[in-house]
Amino acid sequence: MAESGTLLAFKAGRAFRREGTNFVDPSPTKGAILLRKEDDLLHLVWKNRATDEVEEDLILFPSDATFSKVSQASGRVYVLKFSSSDQRHFFWMQDASSARDEEFVNNVNGFLIDPDHEASWGPSSQPEASTSTAGASSSSAPSGFQASPEQLAQLQQLLSSAVGGGASAPSELSLNDILTPANMTALFTSHPDLIPTLFPHLPPDLPMPPSSEVLQRIISSPQFRSAVSNFDQALRTGLLGGLVRQLGLPEEAGTGIEPFLRAVQRQADQERGEDGMDTD
Amino acid sequence: MSGEDDTNGWQLTESDPGVFSELLKTLGVPLIVDDLYSLDSESLASLQPLHALIFLFKWVSTSSDSMSGNYDPEFPGFFAHQVVNNACATIAVINALGNIPSLKSGPQLAQLMEFTNNMDPQTRGLVVTSSDWLREAHNSLSPPSAISLDGLELPRQTEDAYHFVVYLPSMGFVYELDGLKPHAVRHGSYNETGEGWLSRAREVIENRIATYPPGALDFSLLALRDDPLPLLQAELAKLQTAGKQAEAAELVVKLESETSKRNRWNFENSIRRHNHVGLVHALLVTLAKAGRLEPAKENAKSVMKERIARAKSKGGAMDES
Repeated sequence: MAESGTLLAFKAGRAFRREGTNFVDPSPTKGAILLRKEDDLLHLVWKNRATDEVEEDLILFPSDATFSKVSQASGRVYVLKFSSSDQRHFFWMQDASSARDEEFVNNVNGFLIDPDHEASWGPSSQPEASTSTAGASSSSAPSGFQASPEQLAQLQQLLSSAVGGGASAPSELSLNDILTPANMTALFTSHPDLIPTLFPHLPPDLPMPPSSEVLQRIISSPQFRSAVSNFDQALRTGLLGGLVRQLGLPEEAGTGIEPFLRAVQRQADQERGEDGMDTD
Repeated sequence: MSGEDDTNGWQLTESDPGVFSELLKTLGVPLIVDDLYSLDSESLASLQPLHALIFLFKWVSTSSDSMSGNYDPEFPGFFAHQVVNNACATIAVINALGNIPSLKSGPQLAQLMEFTNNMDPQTRGLVVTSSDWLREAHNSLSPPSAISLDGLELPRQTEDAYHFVVYLPSMGFVYELDGLKPHAVRHGSYNETGEGWLSRAREVIENRIATYPPGALDFSLLALRDDPLPLLQAELAKLQTAGKQAEAAELVVKLESETSKRNRWNFENSIRRHNHVGLVHALLVTLAKAGRLEPAKENAKSVMKERIARAKSKGGAMDES
């Protein structure tokens, strides 16, 4: 499947045009702009830092949009403009210091031109125009240092700290790497007695009776792998508190992958104790 | 530009013969869709009776197709515009079905065809797209959308959108029905003898493919054909009662091959429609009960580290996971 992940993030609020005028009024709500790549599509997401909710999710096609400073406005106001429509989205920088404004804006525009843009961080970064849209651009080496995925994850953690008292941990693992066909085969081989407990979760309209072969087939299928990725992604938003309750887990389990897996282990230990099963 | 706004509730579906064939079953139409791997005479002959060819390709927005054939604004057959992108597969199927003479179908489709009679392509497209029962039939074959991910508006990982173009015979000409073009496109006429319209269609499609640089076009071909299963079964019964063992045996092989394909389709559709979150959770709990979750986590962490390291050395692009 295609790449997904957060390319960059910075503190920004939204601003809205006053009806019938050319004035743009900033909304005081604390927020963040995130650029994300999902399935080869670039998304510009605006997240409310108080509620931790995504309130805007825009899909951006290469070279369709630009992010430019609004010169007529005082202060650090920027506009996302589309060539394919009249849409305008206004934002204002919320970081106390404006020292990195240019850096972020240049990289945003770099990604807007080419989702495979190599972000460059450092005082003199410029957007790189890539000639190729297929695959990563290997144009000139970036000036300054590159933000590693860990650094981006830390930044995201900073931005998402708030409600519920827990910042979601940077994700160090993916559920798809846990629910691998190999791990499942080993599991079914060593614990065949646990297999029937999985049958109630299989599609009710399967054209054949449930079995471990069917389970394996499902687990290796693109549809299942896609469902795991979706769930993984959803967990990372930290917003699945409601959903995980339906699975018999505490709300805290919906705040990230690690909390989810810890809660699953506790749930398994409880059930195992009730079943009187052997530990190994 | 946000994905949800212009979908009108139509979800993006996989463009798989099994998905199309299930839609046809829902519409009460005794046809199926099969993959076509070649346009040679043998391949096409084995799929007869063949009603339409569907050409699907990844929409390459930077290059525009050079037009062959001519617009026919007076086309008397069925042609609807594609007004919602996600509905593209179903619009293509409806455009094909609308031009098959004496088509057997369920009452809803028949009514839709009658109701849209004499409408212009744009209006037809709008009416078809606002058909609730059709949209539900279409959506029933993609993963349950916002059920488990309510309100998160996460982009769903589905296949890229393909564009669909139908080629079929009508009034002695081969027509191209492309929901994104203003009118039906008329290509040449054909002789009823031999391969009939298929030889003309082959020519048109091969010319089209040739206009792209080699390897630049990601495409597939599908065939809309009569469902062979009832015919094969009836034929087999006849041969068996007539005691023609050898011929019956041959037919059994054909029948088994067709049946196993349909079983595979049914299986895939069943897992397509299913909400797998319960299974994901149950598998993780099972791993945990077996004491295997911790080691799996540790392993997953090192796999992720390796992946990141590999990506960094490649210059920033994340590998497939």
